Amino acid sequence: MLSYIARRILYSIPVLIVASFLTFWGLRIAFDPLAKYRNLHSPDAAANLLQHKKELGLDSPIAVQWWHWLTKALHGNLGISQRTNNPVFGELIHKMGTTVHLVFWGTLISALLAIGIGLYSAVKQYSAGDYIFTGASYLGIAMPPFWFGLMAIVIFVTWPVTTFHLQQPILYSIGLHGTGQSGIFNLDYYRHLALPVATLVVQSVASWSRFERASMLDVLSADYIRTAQAKGVPRRKVIFKHAFRNALIPLVTVMALDTAYLFGGLIITEQIFSISGMGRYFIDSLTAGDAPALLGWMLFTAFFIILFNLIADVMYGVLDPRIRLS
Amino acid sequence: MIHKHKRYAQVLAGVATLSMVAAACGSSSSKSATPSTKAPSSNTTTGPVPTGGTLTVGAEQEPDCMDWVGSCAGSSWGYWMAQVTTMPSALIPLKQADGSYKYEPGPVLSGMPTLKTTPVQTITYNINPKAVWSDGVPITCDDFKYTWQQIATGKNIYDPTGYTGIANVDCTNEAQPVVTYKQGQTYSGWMQLFSAAYGIMPSHILSKGDRDTEMKNGYDWSGGPWFAKWTKGDNITLTPNTKYWGPKPKLDKVVFKIEADTAAEFQAFKSNQVQALYPQPQVDVISAITSGSLPAGAHSIASAQTGAVEALWIQNGKAPFNDKAVRQAVAYSIDRDAIVKQLFGGLGVNKAINSLNPFVLADYSDQNAFSNYKPDPAKVKSLMTGDGYTMQGGFWTKNGQKASFAISTTEQNKRRQLTLEALQGELKGAGFDVSLRFRSAADLFGKDGPNGDFQMALYAQQVTAIVPGLCAQFCTKNIPTAANNQTGNNWQRYSSPAADKQLQIVDDSLDPAAQMAAAKSGDDILAADMASLPIDPLPDILLWSKNVVGPVSDNAIMGMFWNIDQWGCTGGSCS
Repeated sequence: MLSYIARRILYSIPVLIVASFLTFWGLRIAFDPLAKYRNLHSPDAAANLLQHKKELGLDSPIAVQWWHWLTKALHGNLGISQRTNNPVFGELIHKMGTTVHLVFWGTLISALLAIGIGLYSAVKQYSAGDYIFTGASYLGIAMPPFWFGLMAIVIFVTWPVTTFHLQQPILYSIGLHGTGQSGIFNLDYYRHLALPVATLVVQSVASWSRFERASMLDVLSADYIRTAQAKGVPRRKVIFKHAFRNALIPLVTVMALDTAYLFGGLIITEQIFSISGMGRYFIDSLTAGDAPALLGWMLFTAFFIILFNLIADVMYGVLDPRIRLS
Repeated sequence: MIHKHKRYAQVLAGVATLSMVAAACGSSSSKSATPSTKAPSSNTTTGPVPTGGTLTVGAEQEPDCMDWVGSCAGSSWGYWMAQVTTMPSALIPLKQADGSYKYEPGPVLSGMPTLKTTPVQTITYNINPKAVWSDGVPITCDDFKYTWQQIATGKNIYDPTGYTGIANVDCTNEAQPVVTYKQGQTYSGWMQLFSAAYGIMPSHILSKGDRDTEMKNGYDWSGGPWFAKWTKGDNITLTPNTKYWGPKPKLDKVVFKIEADTAAEFQAFKSNQVQALYPQPQVDVISAITSGSLPAGAHSIASAQTGAVEALWIQNGKAPFNDKAVRQAVAYSIDRDAIVKQLFGGLGVNKAINSLNPFVLADYSDQNAFSNYKPDPAKVKSLMTGDGYTMQGGFWTKNGQKASFAISTTEQNKRRQLTLEALQGELKGAGFDVSLRFRSAADLFGKDGPNGDFQMALYAQQVTAIVPGLCAQFCTKNIPTAANNQTGNNWQRYSSPAADKQLQIVDDSLDPAAQMAAAKSGDDILAADMASLPIDPLPDILLWSKNVVGPVSDNAIMGMFWNIDQWGCTGGSCS
């Protein structure tokens, strides 16, 4: 297993290098790294511009510029944000710390619900419950997060306050903590977390439960399951011991990739619920044309996508020893 | 000094007094017209304001940094929330009874500074003997000198205009800084010095290290009524500065909660998570106010007496707008009043602005300069046919080329999109083939503007000080060229010796009367040439809940929270 992981990590390195170059090249085309300095009002702006051009190495070929950036990035130096004047690496770590709250809770709850619903729908195929979950899934997939988020705020935050004349809402819609609050072991945190996580969960559960249902149905119609049933193995044991583990394999891939994308930030959810994570960082940087920040963001995101691909592969091995052996 | 403020997305190139604001920019000015203020009025209490309580305010934007003089500054919200409340300012712009704005001495001074123009320009300030920093150290001439040195010689300063010409800040008398300009150098905007978005910085604290490092992520000192604590990504919290020598803040705490989404911001207001808002004049905001869906007892003000101008900025160097007749014909094709009424009529703002200078600079502009540009098909026909165009297939055509052009604006701004769609329809009816170009703020202001890669663009510019002057945007010397590395701010590529002369007087003269006369004359030349076309007064909108009391009012330059130290909460709680 260790050699397998090592091999996959080695395969990932050229992918990351190519991704970083394409990102660097694309951003150089899309954004002028000197735009910020052009807009300063200094009387000697022209001279300053030349100085910054030299400092940023913009007079070198693009490949040389990329190589300089990459070697620094490998040492944890992703440059200075043109927007905030702070090191990009530190900012990304900080933003990631916020986004992790949503990703962790969102993925955990979604996974539990999706597996449960998928399992139930497959085992009780064409039952009333299956139809209800199927309909609800399509509804969840069809609802854009910005719409669901706003509706959730109206229904669960604004409506109780205005209807029952509450001084404070039961659930909050701004940030992850109330003023002066911190940490995760307090009710305030969960009152803030509920709606953004729900916004994420609705979409994830909707699609993941469909995967799990389809996968479980495939497995349940497999020969070895029929054999087990014919041999009189109890149905519960057939489902949970023989079918369930194999049915998880396709879902693991989807979950790993989806989770990896979430690390890039839940752009809409973070915007609506005023959570300053990776998604907001991306939007703010994009709007400001902050090339160093965008480069760092994309490198982080690419890293997590590759990492979670690796995790998915490893999970394959855990769930299906034949893959590990091959 | 010019400080460009971003309200929402991006701060852009600013100039002498005007600054460009991106995406869903802020306020604007109404030149001609009436204050256009909707009831109720600004004061929500007549008796004494109660003390104590916490007020939570929804903030649409988080500042990029709190080094107010650095290149990372420029956020309107940063200025409104934390700069105005913590930085001592020599002079502050206050609204007068007639609606105009004038500089008055801030609490740090004991009176108006005195100006001498001969033999060189000197300004003498008298520091209020009670003025101290939050650690009890008196505010002295050393602080003025340090501020000057940092701005004039620092690296990556936002805008050192006005400070680089200073020869010395004489601190012979620590309570009386004397600013002396270099021989032959004058600065007509001297009232902005140590004021506006910069203020005065504490030498005894900052000189020990690097100013930018000490300030950019927030600071724990103050020279104003409040301390500002910045919890990045979440809020800026104000708490009273007990050493402040002026009137003490009434509230125990003010929390500016960052809430970037307009729709969610309104829900937060309705659900009492925040008790005050200062929203952009966007379609959904106006709709929420005019539909009466605000919480019971909530107050709102919409003021058109603001510091910004939203206009159609025209690239005068590019066809078809390198032709004055076409520019004028386009202006005579548009019913600007109808567009403004459609956008802001619900707030009582019905008239277009008629100057490229905002209302707060009314004394320094001809607020009727563009008033002749009203829909007039006969004039359009006369101008276009006189210029060699003929009408073919419903469009003006010359040498086989249709009179076609693109109007650019910032993307994802519903109000601007509606404006452009209305303009497109009107202009098509007048024989112009118009396409719309939606650009990111970074592209429009970082690339298209400096490179002249636009024909006509709709966006707003906002002043942050009462200093007149359109030279930066319209003088020939400020056209971006290869020679100045595209750093000029005359993105319109407008060039007129007559305008240059007048606008340069506005920039250079120390005589207010001469400045006023030249500014009015400059406005008239720009209008006659149709250098660009002012459109609408983006109103400032203030919302606050029934529990918030005190002299709540807008300051078109310092924002809604300029006097938040005098606000209070009924019953000890704003929520």
